[in-house]
Amino acid sequence: MLNHRISNIITALAAVGVIYAVFFIVPPVEGLGEKVRIVFFHIPAAWISVMAFVLSALWALRYLNTHQIEYDRKSATAAGLGFFFCLLATISGALFAKITWGAYWNWDPRQTTIFILLLLYGASFALRTAIHDIDQRAKISSAYSLLSIVVMPFLVFVIPRYYSSLHPSPVINSAAKIAMDPVMLYTLIAALLVASALFRQLFIYYIERTRRRDLAQKDSPEGGGRL
Amino acid sequence: MTKQHTISLFIIFSFLIFCAVTYTHSLSPYVSFAEARTTKGTVQVKGTLSADNIAYLPESNQLRFRLRDDAGEEALIVYTGTKPEGLEHTASIVAIGRYQNNQFAADKLLIKCPSKYQRSVNR
Repeated sequence: MLNHRISNIITALAAVGVIYAVFFIVPPVEGLGEKVRIVFFHIPAAWISVMAFVLSALWALRYLNTHQIEYDRKSATAAGLGFFFCLLATISGALFAKITWGAYWNWDPRQTTIFILLLLYGASFALRTAIHDIDQRAKISSAYSLLSIVVMPFLVFVIPRYYSSLHPSPVINSAAKIAMDPVMLYTLIAALLVASALFRQLFIYYIERTRRRDLAQKDSPEGGGRL
Repeated sequence: MTKQHTISLFIIFSFLIFCAVTYTHSLSPYVSFAEARTTKGTVQVKGTLSADNIAYLPESNQLRFRLRDDAGEEALIVYTGTKPEGLEHTASIVAIGRYQNNQFAADKLLIKCPSKYQRSVNR
């Protein structure tokens, strides 16, 4: 627990450093000007959500292979955090859209696909809460997580690139090169690392909380000792 | 994998492919001028400025310019309202409105900024 506190403090300090760099070190860019600063929140949120969905599917697969409830906990927690970061990406994206395009929401292909992604993972929570039997819930939501991961790359990577969109081109362009000012690139990498650390801290916190809740349920007379 | 699993997976993937084929067209709100001409309601046409010929008429607060849609067709856009910031330097423009009398009457203009991520030379 002490280690978790120390890494919490390190993550918070690194986050303050990155926020300082975003607002005071990153230069304004051609075209976007000062508006570019939102990119350093928007891109990490989107990347972390994709990473979380992939982790969720990997743990779901491990659950189906081993039937150890710990993997289901990890899978569900990663999906929950993925949804949260996806929501942050959607909100920061809508703000970015307002200040660049002129409208918060225009059902642009990027916006439509992220909306479907939110619905897809949002539905998985509804599914989990509807099933009370722990093993049944773990099995069904693991299968759901694996099906979602098949759809996710199409929604995030394929469809938005297929249609012409108002969304800026990806940072890694079609020639697989990063056309970015070095200061911006280092700040973006630092922001990605901090966002990953933030994900890790939140993940540990929620896993611990779920574990405690499950144990309390197991000990209660209604719990039935199903763990 | 049992026979039941194979059948369920087949049904799920057939449904996904069906959805992909049927609904992909509706994933993009943007249409060409050719489609805009045949549509009665409000549509969104996405394209690029065909030349640096943006005319602004202050007395009627009207903006007139030619837009080339993604299919390559050009048409005159007439927009009443404040000129969006940096219109001349945009990567592409979305005009929302309707096609009438051989011109596109836009109620709203959305702007795509060029994403260069390079230091501004003015500073």
